[in-house]
Amino acid sequence: MRRAARLAAIGLALSATACTEHLAAPGLCPTYCPSDSLAVRDTILRAAISRDTAYGRPYGYVNAASAPYLLADTVPGVRGSHPIFRTPPIGTRTLIGSDTTTGAVIGVDSLYLFLTIPQRDTATHDLAVALYELPHDIDSTTTFAALTAPFSAPPVRAVNVDTLLAQPGHKDPASGDSIIVDSTSTRITLALRLDSADAPYSTADSGTLAFGVRVSAAANAHVEFASSELSALGPRVNWYVKYDSLGIVAHKLIPVSLTGGRGFDGFVFDPPPPPLNGTLVVGSVPAARSVLRVTLPRAIRDSATIVRATLELIPAALPQGLAADSFDLVAQAVLADFGAKSPLDALHVDTTRIYIAPTDTVRVEVTNILRFWVSDTLIATTLVLRQAPEGADLAEIRFYPSSDPVRRPLLRVTYTPHFPFGRQ
Amino acid sequence: MTPARLVTLLACALVAAGTARAQDSQFGIVGLGTPGRWESGRARTGAGAFAAFDPASTVTETALAEIGSLSASVAEGATFRHLEGPGLSSWLRSTRYPLFAVGGPVSSGLFVGGGYSTYLDRSFEAVTRDSVVLRDAMEHFTDAIKSDGGVSDLRLAAAARLGSRVTLGVGLHLLAGSTRMTATRNFDDSTVYFTVQQAGTVRYAGLGVSGSVLLAVTPTVSLAGFARRDGHLSAYVADTLVTRSDLPATVGGALRWTPVANARLAGSVMWRSWSRTGPNAFDTFNWTAGLELGRAAPVRVGVRGGQLPFGATGSAPTEWGVAAGTGRVLANGRGFLDIGVERLARDGGGLRERLWTIVLGLTLRP
Repeated sequence: MRRAARLAAIGLALSATACTEHLAAPGLCPTYCPSDSLAVRDTILRAAISRDTAYGRPYGYVNAASAPYLLADTVPGVRGSHPIFRTPPIGTRTLIGSDTTTGAVIGVDSLYLFLTIPQRDTATHDLAVALYELPHDIDSTTTFAALTAPFSAPPVRAVNVDTLLAQPGHKDPASGDSIIVDSTSTRITLALRLDSADAPYSTADSGTLAFGVRVSAAANAHVEFASSELSALGPRVNWYVKYDSLGIVAHKLIPVSLTGGRGFDGFVFDPPPPPLNGTLVVGSVPAARSVLRVTLPRAIRDSATIVRATLELIPAALPQGLAADSFDLVAQAVLADFGAKSPLDALHVDTTRIYIAPTDTVRVEVTNILRFWVSDTLIATTLVLRQAPEGADLAEIRFYPSSDPVRRPLLRVTYTPHFPFGRQ
Repeated sequence: MTPARLVTLLACALVAAGTARAQDSQFGIVGLGTPGRWESGRARTGAGAFAAFDPASTVTETALAEIGSLSASVAEGATFRHLEGPGLSSWLRSTRYPLFAVGGPVSSGLFVGGGYSTYLDRSFEAVTRDSVVLRDAMEHFTDAIKSDGGVSDLRLAAAARLGSRVTLGVGLHLLAGSTRMTATRNFDDSTVYFTVQQAGTVRYAGLGVSGSVLLAVTPTVSLAGFARRDGHLSAYVADTLVTRSDLPATVGGALRWTPVANARLAGSVMWRSWSRTGPNAFDTFNWTAGLELGRAAPVRVGVRGGQLPFGATGSAPTEWGVAAGTGRVLANGRGFLDIGVERLARDGGGLRERLWTIVLGLTLRP
């Protein structure tokens, strides 16, 4: 009993004196507070940005042939843009069984052409899509003017998307056209059924097809089709071909897509983008970027903590495009400064939204980037301004460069100098 | 005491010195810190009244002459502290190991000792709310200034008996330590204004000397006098000297009376010239009185009072406290465990601190 009491007393003493620490308390200031506190300074660095320039014309970081979207616009008096694509050949012979025996392709019974719209512009109503047959020699050098004649011919097929969506099962029983609606996203896929008259099989071309798309709507028509660069959502064709199977005419499905560099897709548009003119250009197609070199004062870069940093840019012209052309302007750090070919740092990115509307100053919060620069004083302090995603929009914006003494880019920095540790 | 034993014990003391801290106090924030007590667990259970005669305490060197053989002592204190001020009420807690001492005779009439004790404690975290106009808008934020650490007093002391009545002692004090400091600001609008956190380590260094005399007036009455002079406390950040503060001089005296074999009475006074250390500092006068009854399992009670050196309202904060405790012989006299409780009240400038401290002391004689 006495031993138990002794053990209990020792246990109580140990638990009462066990290590414990809680020292955070509201300060009774200024009487019983540390004499120093963190100071905050806000300053405008007017000369911090220099050696800025734009790149991307006539060959951009993304061009029409490599863009993730096929832009289709019909805005009278403003611009027109038509997706064009050429499917790869399916060949003149095809396998007729499980071995290597082949038979000649005789012709086409029918085919389905699939065009995917990842995201619809809700401002575009009564959207109609017309398909035009194009010469098979289209490529990345083809211009809008060169295709005036094919787009003036009667379309191979025209379909009203809104009408088709209103049909039961989103399918027109007469034409066989339908729309596949992805219930998990905003994506819809047009499935246009073409017969041998619409898309005849040509042995000379091994079944190559070339089409152009023109859109129209109640008002400004604007739609983006997925290109072969956007995952596997680009244009694709399901051929139902007739072939000679040891003297018997048989039918077969041959799916064809443009992925992997087979075939071609892109778009042609008018008017062409204006050339670079000394301003800081961002966006459009070919996609332009602007590179800005930033010199931070040593007092900030070496020992301050960035609380907020804002890049202020004054547009040299109003943002060009439709309301639907609003885009993200991205300020991105670089891994190394190689000028136009500087590799971008994917981890340090700041973004703002550019709306197609009058604006006096564009502000990009670049706190992430400046905090990164302060943490590693050996990194290149170069910013790249670009559109996101590039090649998905014909809109662009131009800012005054640092050579303009009044309207040059500014950097506004809020920071705390180093705390005076050790002072009483 | 063999040299090997002494070296081992001193090494243990140096390793443990990093944790040497005493009670924290909000009053120390505005000055150099909260001074340590230089008292062993045993002395502290009697409110420090017997510290000048306690070989495990570091108030005087002459107390080493009362060591019969090599011994080492360590103290621990767990403090629960309640703060009260205008719009402020908060409970804080901390555990500290404020003292380690070792000593023993090296020859007839000559004694040496060493160890560490807390010189200044600088552990606190002050949290404040405020606002600032940034880019034409009022931004609210929360600041937290945190300091963790303190300054330890590494002491090497010697005492010599000069005849049967007089003992003299001298000590050399190396002041060393560091504080890990962080300053944090969290803006309410954290989507635009990022959190700031800056950290730094402040290293401290200084030197001091001390001396004491113990006079056996009669077989039952002893008088002790002591003095200490500390030089400067230099604070370094990244090996750069940022501040250099003068440190106080200390003088004091103590009386012990043993009217009967099982009863002892003691009292002491101490004056320190803290006002020379900088603004918001005041000279302090502190006193203690205590009673100890019994030998194998003594019971101690004591009372103390005086001032704290740092305050921001034109006068020094005051301190008053009582303590009680007991001890127990362990392992056939090779160990001694002391346990006690201390109640302190500190007041000044609208701020009140009320503390409960559980004190443990352990003495070993290998």
